[in-house]
Amino acid sequence: MMTFTEYAGSFQKTAVSFWHGLSITMSHLFRRPMTVQYPDRTPLPVRDMLPPRYRGFLEVDTAICTGCQACERACPIACIQITLEKDPANPKQRLVTQFDIDEAKCMFCGLCVEPCPTGSIQHTREFEGSVANIRNLVFRWSDPVKPFPVYRVEKGAEYFARAPLGSLVRARLEAARWNAAAVEYLPPEPPAPAVAPVPAAAPAPPTPTNPETK
Amino acid sequence: MEKLILRRVDRNNEEMILNFGPQHPSTHGVINFIVETDGEVLRKAVPDVGYLHRSIEKIGESTGYHGFMPYTDRIDYVAAMFPNEGYAMVVERLCGIQVPKRALYLRAISTELCRIASHLVSIGTMTMDIGAFTPMIHGIRERETINDLIEALCGARLTYNYHRIGGVAFDLPEGWRDKTLAFLDHFDKFLVEFDRLISFNEIYIKRLANVAVIPGPMAVDYGLSGPNLRGSGVDFDLRKAMPYGVYPEFEFDVPVGKGMFGQVGDCFDRYICRTREMGESSKIVRQALDLIQQAPEGDIVAPKVARNLKVEAGEALSRVESARGEMAFYLVADGTNRAWRVRTRTGSFTAMGIIEAISPGLMVADLVALIASLDVVAPEIDR
Amino acid sequence: MATTPKRPPLSPRAVVLITLIVGVALPGALFALILVLSAATKPLVVEALIRKFAEVDPATWPYTTLVSWGSVVVLALILLTFGAVISGMTVWWEMRVSARMQSRIGYNRAGAAGFFQWIADAVKLLFKEDLIPAEADRMLFRVAPYFVMTGFALTFVALPFGESLIAADLNVGIFYLVSVTALVVVGILLAGWSSNSKWALFGGMRSAAQVVSYEIPAGLATMVPILMAGTLSMQGIVRAQGAWPWQWFVFTNPAATVAFAVFFIAQLAEGNRTPFDLPEAESELVAGYLSEYSGFRFAIYFLVEFGNLWVMGAIAATLFLGGWQIPGVGPEVYAAAKGAGALPAPGWWGLQALSMVVMVVKTLVVLNLIVWVRWTLPRIRIDQMMTLCWKYLVPVAFVTFVFTLLWQVLVARQPALSTISGWVMFAGFVVVTLLFARQTRANIAAAGDHVDMTNW
Repeated sequence: MMTFTEYAGSFQKTAVSFWHGLSITMSHLFRRPMTVQYPDRTPLPVRDMLPPRYRGFLEVDTAICTGCQACERACPIACIQITLEKDPANPKQRLVTQFDIDEAKCMFCGLCVEPCPTGSIQHTREFEGSVANIRNLVFRWSDPVKPFPVYRVEKGAEYFARAPLGSLVRARLEAARWNAAAVEYLPPEPPAPAVAPVPAAAPAPPTPTNPETK
Repeated sequence: MEKLILRRVDRNNEEMILNFGPQHPSTHGVINFIVETDGEVLRKAVPDVGYLHRSIEKIGESTGYHGFMPYTDRIDYVAAMFPNEGYAMVVERLCGIQVPKRALYLRAISTELCRIASHLVSIGTMTMDIGAFTPMIHGIRERETINDLIEALCGARLTYNYHRIGGVAFDLPEGWRDKTLAFLDHFDKFLVEFDRLISFNEIYIKRLANVAVIPGPMAVDYGLSGPNLRGSGVDFDLRKAMPYGVYPEFEFDVPVGKGMFGQVGDCFDRYICRTREMGESSKIVRQALDLIQQAPEGDIVAPKVARNLKVEAGEALSRVESARGEMAFYLVADGTNRAWRVRTRTGSFTAMGIIEAISPGLMVADLVALIASLDVVAPEIDR
Repeated sequence: MATTPKRPPLSPRAVVLITLIVGVALPGALFALILVLSAATKPLVVEALIRKFAEVDPATWPYTTLVSWGSVVVLALILLTFGAVISGMTVWWEMRVSARMQSRIGYNRAGAAGFFQWIADAVKLLFKEDLIPAEADRMLFRVAPYFVMTGFALTFVALPFGESLIAADLNVGIFYLVSVTALVVVGILLAGWSSNSKWALFGGMRSAAQVVSYEIPAGLATMVPILMAGTLSMQGIVRAQGAWPWQWFVFTNPAATVAFAVFFIAQLAEGNRTPFDLPEAESELVAGYLSEYSGFRFAIYFLVEFGNLWVMGAIAATLFLGGWQIPGVGPEVYAAAKGAGALPAPGWWGLQALSMVVMVVKTLVVLNLIVWVRWTLPRIRIDQMMTLCWKYLVPVAFVTFVFTLLWQVLVARQPALSTISGWVMFAGFVVVTLLFARQTRANIAAAGDHVDMTNW
């Protein structure tokens, strides 16, 4: 049962709470909306407004890559694929014949960046990489025809000169058309599980086989 | 389906079976409720979960200890700091790793900010489920600032992967402390405005008060935790009851449902607990930002945590007060570099269990309010 | 990946110019056509026009009937088009206002301030596939939108736009409006039933319960201005009110203020607007009775829903807010401006246009009130909706009705009573408005914000 006071009080409570609510929505008409009008009406390009720690596309500076494969081992989903071969011309020199990062698979966790001894692999602030064909998101940092030699770290070196962060990825993104035809091959299967092998067993030899290629 | 309903609905009576989901605007993800209704009144609502199962626990057995950390983000993507912290804690407990003080403060700051962000989504979607759209956008607006702060801290806005076994990934960026304090000042004002805008709106109160009442003992029986349990008047917060990290150093209150406009444990109590908890989290962040200045800078991760971590055979349990209740990680290690078993206990999953018991007699609109007030997030239910 | 930002084909200034031209010219042209045609379709004027331009005797001319019927058909088409256009523009306006309330910007890409978005949306909806669910009752499913559309279009017959700008000044005007708006619920109920979807059925049943219940408080609240004016005719009700705010019905009788509130709430419920949007409650019923509709049929429902805002505003303005009355312009001024001839003089047309402006402004004020309420309040539950109707609105409406009976007796003996009430109530309204403005300013300060109208 409802007393008369409650009945009348419900009118008053309703009026008071609506008064507050309506005055707040009204006051927002005179405040500045906080929408960021991505992509074309921002004071700066959005990638330049992002914080420096932003985890965007991965970038590898092949000039200072030691070929240590630490990033490959750290990656929990095995989206990094590295193959090392001996240089036929110079047996002492090792070449990175394959350094593929599948950015479509990558979950941008940043675990690969941490073990890198030289800072060769880094997250950039590039994030606009939509393509019509997902295979085009495999970034091949090593040209199979002209593989790059591994970088030898000098003793006591603390600083490694690196190409400006993001410039390499941006150059690749800008060179590619978004609707380019898909690459003919699939990225090869990873040779071993994502983490370092179980100590008891010998590490499996890297056999880049792919059942789908002829 | 028939197994879930248990009995076939007689064609001649006036009941009907309704599939409330999996694609429904107010199920907060892909959850299905098989609802028996008589007109607007529910006979029963049976949750049918599993649409978002990604076998995250199984993945934990096949990736390394470090490599599982980004996956824990996906357990509860609305509040990804908590599974991060829980998983880091369980491995540390098993390995006996001492976490530096500064890292603990950073964990407290990041998780409490994340709790605010998560509760903003929760109360925002709740107001939207009740039919008011504007408060939800206001909540999302404030969350955006928190996202910006966390992005500056760890580089991601949703799946943070910020905590590491033995510490955290990054120290505070330059100028971050001032920005955060400025935001918290603004946020305290926002909470007042939000209360005036919607919390004490008469229609809103009428929609929530005395709806889907969960008494305290029942909440305990069904294993509810977090704000859902405290909304029922049970004062249990892991940060107070079993403190971990640096929580003993902070002064904060644990808001408990008092039946402000009806019985203790109704939807409104659960709602108001969340709004008050945001204020408490804001207090904790302030204190942590003060205390962190005493800890040496840069000391954010325990030394000598192997990259290819091998854990002695054994088992451990960690319990974290997540935004959606208690989040527990149970880990069994067998001496190799991968876990033998990872098990997660989440608040949303237990919250789903009580819906069948509470639902009889509610109306269709009340079911929406109940789901929203339990703050379930689909990936946390299914993992 | 690499996309060079394309230069827009038009300069921003040109876009603003085009938007302004269309935004002003489109409704302006419709208003002008309504202005001319609703006055020119009257038989006497038609005859005079025929005599003047065709230079024949209308009584013997064979095409007189054709011309007069033709002009009525054209007027009907214009009014229908006006309904569609105003509904689209209301969508745009509501989206802009609601966005601003939510710290967003809203439509801002198609045209300046996104003004052409409603046209783009309409065109998109026309191109959508027209789906009919396999198990639906096909005939009813197809027919339902026409009921809704008919109920909406028929209201324009008796909606006043100005002093003599009304398609037909029926002597049962308001009664007619109440009855044709009820036709909408038939369409909604049909849509809910024929879709063969449980969500749609829920929506349809809720809508039926809601609209039928709220007809009663709405009808009772409508009785208050009817009693005060002593007529059912829309123009008659307006003529019974004065032009100044303290002469409006809403202020001259304390009960009418309450009746206005009851009427406003009941109108919200009948128009399925928040907080009474239960029939299409998005978070509960997916889209309610609209769940299975797509394409053009959906567009019709959408058009009616937003077009109804105009209808609601116009009815409220007519009944309570003094309609099209211009301060200081009485019926004798209109008569003097019209001149002696059968065809009105130019000054009369100017007065008509002015009265139209007054009416449109009042309608827009009420329309904005509805929009504002929608973006502030949550939705009520179905049992609370019934409680509100039967336990609160109906008794209150009865009280206002009885009070008005007594009030009219008193006013008949003591005419000053109505004037005093008008002044007091109007002063109270001004005070409340000022207090509200102060509260709004205080809100901005309390949030640590400041007035900033940028970022459109």
